[in-house]
Amino acid sequence: MRSPRIAALAALLLLAAPLTACSSGPAPASTTIGIGVDLPLSGADASVGTSTLDGIKLAVDRANAKGVPGGFTFAVQALDDTQQGVHNPQQGASNVRTLIADDSVLAIIGPYNSNVAAAEIPITNEAGIVQISPSAVSDGLTLGKDAAMLRRANPDVNTFFRVCTTDSRQGSAAARFALDLKLKRVYIVDDNETYGLDLANVFARDFAKLGGTVLGRDHIAPDTQDFKALLLKIKGYKPDFIFFGGTTSTGGGLLRRQMFDVGMGKLPFMGGDGIPDIAEVAKKRADGTYYTVAAPNADLLPAAKKFVASYKAKFGSDVGPYSANAYAATEVAISAIEQAIIANGKKMPTRAQVLAKIPRSAKNEVHTPIGPISFDKYGDVRKPVISLYVIRNGRSSFIEQLNLSE
Amino acid sequence: MHEFLAQLANGVELGAIYALIALGYTLVYGILELINFAHGDVYTFGSFTALVVLVALRAANVLHGGGLILGIVAALLVAILACALLNAAIERLAYRRLRKAPRLAPLITAIGVSFMLENLIELWQGSAPVAFPNVIPNPELSIGALQVGVQQIVVVALAIVTMIALHYFVQRSRLGKAMRAVAQDRDAASLVGINVDRTIAITFLIAGALAGVAGFVGGVSFGSAWFLNGFGAGLRAFTAAVLGGIGNIAGAMLGGFLIGLLESFSTWFIGGQWSNVAVFSVLILVLVFRPSGLLGESLPEKV
Repeated sequence: MRSPRIAALAALLLLAAPLTACSSGPAPASTTIGIGVDLPLSGADASVGTSTLDGIKLAVDRANAKGVPGGFTFAVQALDDTQQGVHNPQQGASNVRTLIADDSVLAIIGPYNSNVAAAEIPITNEAGIVQISPSAVSDGLTLGKDAAMLRRANPDVNTFFRVCTTDSRQGSAAARFALDLKLKRVYIVDDNETYGLDLANVFARDFAKLGGTVLGRDHIAPDTQDFKALLLKIKGYKPDFIFFGGTTSTGGGLLRRQMFDVGMGKLPFMGGDGIPDIAEVAKKRADGTYYTVAAPNADLLPAAKKFVASYKAKFGSDVGPYSANAYAATEVAISAIEQAIIANGKKMPTRAQVLAKIPRSAKNEVHTPIGPISFDKYGDVRKPVISLYVIRNGRSSFIEQLNLSE
Repeated sequence: MHEFLAQLANGVELGAIYALIALGYTLVYGILELINFAHGDVYTFGSFTALVVLVALRAANVLHGGGLILGIVAALLVAILACALLNAAIERLAYRRLRKAPRLAPLITAIGVSFMLENLIELWQGSAPVAFPNVIPNPELSIGALQVGVQQIVVVALAIVTMIALHYFVQRSRLGKAMRAVAQDRDAASLVGINVDRTIAITFLIAGALAGVAGFVGGVSFGSAWFLNGFGAGLRAFTAAVLGGIGNIAGAMLGGFLIGLLESFSTWFIGGQWSNVAVFSVLILVLVFRPSGLLGESLPEKV
């Protein structure tokens, strides 16, 4: 019943798309190199998407100020993959096609969400353009059979990289954090999306392996408003806490909020990096929410102090959960493009030349505010870090971080 | 037992909201034989109107003590009034001139109006969910083995009072009688001096007012408002109206409560991801095996 509406809306968006594309202005010929960006920039994910985009802008501004070999300048070309208020894989795929069609775009940063990435990777793989995501953490994007399916056009060429870690690393870190907090009995809920289900699966497996008790699991349906029936059922199991695989917009916010309506407000609520913005829906009831972020705490890293200071100076707001990752992803892309320019005799390099310069080993890693970055053969970072935060009195505070080596 | 009662209470709360929305579908269908697909979005509009009033009152720092109750009543009344006027305006602008057109035309128009409302609400309030102020304190009361929140009692009580008022209005008042007459036979009603256009406009006003009440209690119960809420809630309420027998007032109430209970208990027994399947299977089964609904045939009159 929903599809005719979506089709009609898609038609409207298609009509609107060329207008927005034109309004960003034609790129001046050949001296500008585009850094394509695809993120959710409006709707339910707007706050995390915008702060991620700001990280990219900062890296590009810094590179331009420093001077690019061959006299080139970098320009951010950002597109929004939100439709009907939520990140949308089809919109992401169409954005990536738009970016690829522009010859001046040599690398794409994004997307934010895993299900969007799954729709985009086959396209960037076919085009052979470097794509680096700051935050798409689903295992299947780089690992195993799922990733092989995404790379059908060029099975041997890997064009998708990410500076965050994977669901399985994040899920198992969350399991360890929970046991550290003396939380032993869990009920697990997820949103049945690529990211949420993966995270919940790994958490369930590792939490049980480490000695915790998984009392039960449930999946929520899209469009659900009432979670009280589910929460009443969970209440019967008397868990120590609820783990949620998903994002604030797919039900995390309302789930936390309605816990108070069934007398479970005191119970801790834990999730992954899909819920740092949970207070926007849960308000004061967000207190007692724990979440992991697949990145080091930028405030604590000495190398990151400068980044945090210049971010605050430029945008006048606190660093978002993935701003530093986005900055690092952009630095990696820019470093590869600059090396390719030099190797190409200070002329515009091809996308394949840029891809060849992506750091693959400890020898040529790129130093970023989130630590030195190089990728393994799957496209994942070699030195992953996961941090744990809790919301108290409406503010996120950092608890601890785990360094997971390969 | 304890959990059964808690799920029962939750199902009744959810059902009360669906019943209020379903009444709007059924009233309009009864009089025009039109499924007003924009009705779910009028409900969303009601949620946001109440939300805006409450946020403004909270900012003015009047929501405590006696001011709290007055503030809640004010938000409810503004939502009722705004939705009633919106629904009447929709009828006047979009449906009235299509009254003699083939039945498909107003139906498609209703879908178009639904799109427009969704996008206007998105322009007004943005596309992210907005938190609904926690105005009703929610301590749990124990009645025997049953534990219910004050908020739950308020939601259900408000819905039931509204439904009783509607019942008396339709059965006893002159306007109610006129509505039933127009529903039975529009031409005959106009022959005996009933102003058909005015009666239909009043029906839309009442359906809108019910959506306003539903929007308020839905916001209180779910804790947030979102510009697409009306789509999901509207479909479930439409299912409730069909289950009870579309066009039948008692049927819409019964169907609403049954759908609410079904959603609550299917979540309990088979899991959250199946609740939509359970609800919409009912829609299909009713349409195939008993298109007139549970109460559709037993009452000769429709409104």
